[in-house]
This record gives sequence, structure tokens and C-alpha cells, in this order.
Amino acid sequence: MENQATMSDFDSILASRGVTRRSFMKLCAGIAAAAGLSQLAVPRVAQALEESVIGATSGNLYPVIWIEGASCTGCTESFAQVETPDVASVVLDMISLNYSETLSAAAGHSMEEAKAQTIAAGNYILIYEGAVLEAFDGNALRVAGETGITALVEAAESANAVVAVGSCAVNGGWMAAAPNPAQALGVQQYLKKVGVATPVVNVPGCPVNPEWVMSVLVDVVVMKDMDLLVNRLNEFNMPGDLFNQTIHDNCERRGHFENGEFVYEFGSKEEEMGYCLYPVGCKGPQTRALCGVTLWNNRRSWCVQSGAPCIGCCEANPNNPGDNWAEVNTPFYKRMRDLRIGPLSLQPTTIAVTITGIVAAALVVHGFGMKLSGRMDGGAPFEKIRKWDAKHPDQEIGTYADPVAGGPVLDDELLQKNAEPRNND
Amino acid sequence: MAHLAHYKEAHPLIFVVTHWINLIAMIMLILSGIIIHFPVLPFLTGIARGCHLFFGFVLFINCVARVIMAFFVKTAPTGGTRQQVTDFKTWLPQKDNRHQALEWIKYYLFLKKDHPLGAKLGVPQKISYLLIPILIVLMFWTGLCLWGVTMNVPVFAATTNLVGGLMSMRIIHYFGMYVFIIFMFIHIYLANVEGFAPTKLMFIHKEHGGLVYDPDLHNIVGEDADLH
Repeated sequence: MENQATMSDFDSILASRGVTRRSFMKLCAGIAAAAGLSQLAVPRVAQALEESVIGATSGNLYPVIWIEGASCTGCTESFAQVETPDVASVVLDMISLNYSETLSAAAGHSMEEAKAQTIAAGNYILIYEGAVLEAFDGNALRVAGETGITALVEAAESANAVVAVGSCAVNGGWMAAAPNPAQALGVQQYLKKVGVATPVVNVPGCPVNPEWVMSVLVDVVVMKDMDLLVNRLNEFNMPGDLFNQTIHDNCERRGHFENGEFVYEFGSKEEEMGYCLYPVGCKGPQTRALCGVTLWNNRRSWCVQSGAPCIGCCEANPNNPGDNWAEVNTPFYKRMRDLRIGPLSLQPTTIAVTITGIVAAALVVHGFGMKLSGRMDGGAPFEKIRKWDAKHPDQEIGTYADPVAGGPVLDDELLQKNAEPRNND
Repeated sequence: MAHLAHYKEAHPLIFVVTHWINLIAMIMLILSGIIIHFPVLPFLTGIARGCHLFFGFVLFINCVARVIMAFFVKTAPTGGTRQQVTDFKTWLPQKDNRHQALEWIKYYLFLKKDHPLGAKLGVPQKISYLLIPILIVLMFWTGLCLWGVTMNVPVFAATTNLVGGLMSMRIIHYFGMYVFIIFMFIHIYLANVEGFAPTKLMFIHKEHGGLVYDPDLHNIVGEDADLH
């Protein structure tokens, strides 16, 4: 009917998913913030979303290949666990997830073929979840007769970009924790090693926060602007707006930290008061991530809000599998990590206090020695001659009363010269 | 009386001041550092953090100033003399100490009965003192790697990556404190175990009589028991 308001095609897509125009605009504002754009860019984002190949009623969706490495699929779960058909899921549906071991309905030969076709066509994004395993002669993670590392290299070579989601994909994560029998490492390091030059974007977390991944996809897939993404990256190829500040910087309990109000024990009155979790091992001060702002589970809560100290799951240097979050942050409820000495796992304080104690005890014992040897009152008498001088009379350092027997050169003039006060102080 | 006379010329007033600053700054850094590491006195955490930063800069600036002054201020090259040379020369190998490193160690291990002749600073003493400025710079640097304000400065971030992340950096900084504590234990012990004369000279500039040593002869030339 002509007198009836009509919705645009895009709006009807939204409506069919139970999303109002209002919440769509909220999404755009969220995306603009996630992409590091000002609020003035919100209409641009909305337009991009509406007009993009993703939101359009016709045309191709941006192809995405999602490969599982050595993962627990927790990142996929995190990404997929949106309870209601909210805006995030709309965006998710706007990509063409051509291959995903976990999410794809298809399986077997047809799915592998879809992957091969996507790779052959190019112009896609590769999302890699989980660690790369080099051990077992590269035979781990074999799917359809292809090993994990060859699958990664093949898919990465033709991709526009590789997004390493989750700490495992960034630097091996807990897969790489000592003794690392699978020789796990991150995607960026491995691709560099084998000479694949495709840019890698790292988004750590265990699991990864879906909104962080979305913000990366928005830059490339929605805004179609690789520069937007590249300009955001820090030295770890992580979006700097998400990973340059520590958890501690944005923590909702920071006020209690500043006031000196701490939880020392779980189940205590202090815990009930929601005090700072620093003494129970919170790794917030040394973990760089924006959890406290982005929040989790549809922006509902996050670890610290739910009462748990940060365990630093976003700690991941892509160039160093040894700097994986599980290894550098355990035990989780202690201020510092354990250090391994042979079979022992010791806290740094135990090591340092033991050594200091041994030195202190040695000094006490030494003190008894000094007392017994009568050196406490001015020390032992001086040697008559240096040992070297006694042995090498021709190369003597000192001048002695006797070149062999030694002894002080008692001389009043020299005494005056050295002992006479001068006006220089 | 077996020791050498302790004259002010060994430690001019300005170095008495820098030593005091070192002492106060190190103690304040250790105490505030412990409170920062674990809030044993929670109400002091805020103050401790402020103190830690302040004294960190004080210690570093004092260290730089002390090193620069070594090239301008004159001090006695050996104990038991009022003669002076430019201070930095007393930090380099001196003829008085040549071939004496092992003798010093043997003396401290009770394997040598008589006291080695030497310069103002014995061989192990000089080496350990020379390591202190390095340790101070190391602590200052690692501290800046951990401080929120400077941690993202590329040079500090690169250092953090080099050592394997912020946790490793934290532990290095923490172990550094124990190196200071161990140094202080040994330093305080050795400075006082043969009498308090060196400490009195260093802290309140009080002289003490003793044997007189000639830096040119590299030997004892008499005694100045009552002080001139």
C-alpha cells in the first residue's frame, strides 16, 4: 500500500533478525569506536554497512576461511556464543564463512573443495585459531590428508590478510608452555620463517573477545580499507587501541587499588567489598588489553567484575613463544610466576631470600672468624712487603726499608708531606 | 693500631653528601618497593609508589652526578695520606693494588695473616663499587620499563620484549633489589668489622689517626696517631 511506510532492503534484513534500526545505529557507533574512528564517522560506518557487499541484497559476501590449528575451539565458541540474534551476529552473517571446521554445516570432500576454490579465487581473509605445531615432522593437525602447517601456508599465501585469533595463534599460547613438546609457535613467527609475506594481525586472548575480532573485520571487510587496520597496529601487529593499555589502567577496581584496599584472601570481607585483587595474583598491571572497557558476553561482565583476578590471558609476544601467558602468569594466584631450576618450580622470593640469607649467615660466621683472629680492632697488622715484591725484587711496586724483608720507610719528611693538613675542604 | 689514618681528603664533603643520598635513596627504594610488590602496609601503597618514583630519580641523578664529579673533584688515592689526585684515578687500577687481588681474597678467607698493602680501595672493593653504578642504571632502566608512563616508549618496550615480557622484567627488577641488599650487607659488614673509623669518616667526616702511607713510595712511612 502506498500510504504505508516501507523499509529499505537492509532494514528488512535487520528486522528479519529481530534487530531494530536503533540498535543497528548503536552497532555502528560501537564499530566506529572499535575501528578507532570518531563518532562523526558513525553515518559513514552505517552507510558502509548498508552498501557493502556484505549487507547488499546481491553481490558476493567477503570470503573468510577459518582454520583451526592446535586449538580448543574456544575462540570459535567465544565468537559464536551470541545468545540472541543481536547486531554482532548480523555482522557475522555478513561475511561468507566459506570454511570452518567447527561451524560449517558441510563436511568432508565438498567442504575441502570449497576451501580450495576460495583460495584459488583469492581476495579473502584467513582467520587462524590455535597454535602452529612444528613437531612430529610437521605431521600434526592432519585434515583431509593435508598437514596443519601446509594447510596454513597454502591458505595464507593467497589471503589479503591473516587474522591470528586467540593467544595460541599469536604465539603458541598455553600450547607453547614448557616443555612445549609439540614445538608450538604463533602464526606470524611461522609464516615469517617459511617466507610468507601476507600481513598478520594478532588478536590475543583466551578466548579472544568477539568484539575485538569484529573490529578487525570491520576495518577490512566493511570499511574495505586495509590502511585503517594497518594504522592501528602496534609493534606486535595488534590493534594498538585494544592492546596498548594495561587491564590495570582501565580497571573498575582501580579506585580500591589507589586507596590501598585489597583482597588478601578469597572468601574474606574484603572480597565481599569488591576490593582490588592485586595481592591474590591479579596480572592486570602487566597485561595489555581492553577487557575492562569492551567487557565480555555481550558487554555484560568481565573477569574482574565477576570477582576473579586477571590471569593475563592476553600476554603474547608474537615473536617469542616463551612469552606465552600460561607460562609467565602461573601460578595465577601469586604475584609472580614460578621459576624453574631443574625439576623445581620456585617463586622468585624463595630464591632471592634464600641466597640473601646464605650471604647473611656467611657474614655472621665470618664475623666470628674476625673476632677469633683478633682483627676487629683495626684489622690485622699490615704486611711488611707485598708478596709479589718479595718474589720479584727487580720489579718492586713499593719501596721498602729492606728490598727483601720489606718494612715501612720511616721518614719524618714523608710523614709531614702526607699528614699535613691542607685547606682544600 | 694497625690501620691507616683516616683523613677527610679520602672522602671530600661532597662525596659524604652523595653517599648520604645513596643511603637514604636506597633504603627508601627498598622499603617502598616491598610495599609496592606486596601491600603489607596497604594504607601506604599510594605514598610508597610516589616515594619509589621520586627516590628512583634521586638515586639515578645522584649516581650520574657522582660519576661526573669524579673527573673534577680531587681525593686521596690511598688511605693514610692527605695528598690528592683527580678522583677518577682512584677508580682505575692503581699501582698500589697491582698483584694484590688474590692477596685480598686470601686475607678475607683467613688464608693470609697480615693485611695487604693497597690503595684507598682494595681490589674486590673497587670492583664491587664499580658495579654499583651499573646496577643503579640497570634498576633505573628496568624501573622505567615497568612504569606505566614510560612502558610504551619504544626503547623501553623493546627492552621488555628482549627479556621476555613484563613479568620477566618485574622479576629482574625484583632480583636487582636483593643484589642491593646483599651488597649493603657485605658493605656495611666490611666497613665496620675492623672498627668504626671508616664509617665515622664517611658519615660525619670525623678523622681518625693511624699509619701514614706515601702514594709515591707505595708504602707506610710513619704514624700520625694524634692527628695533625
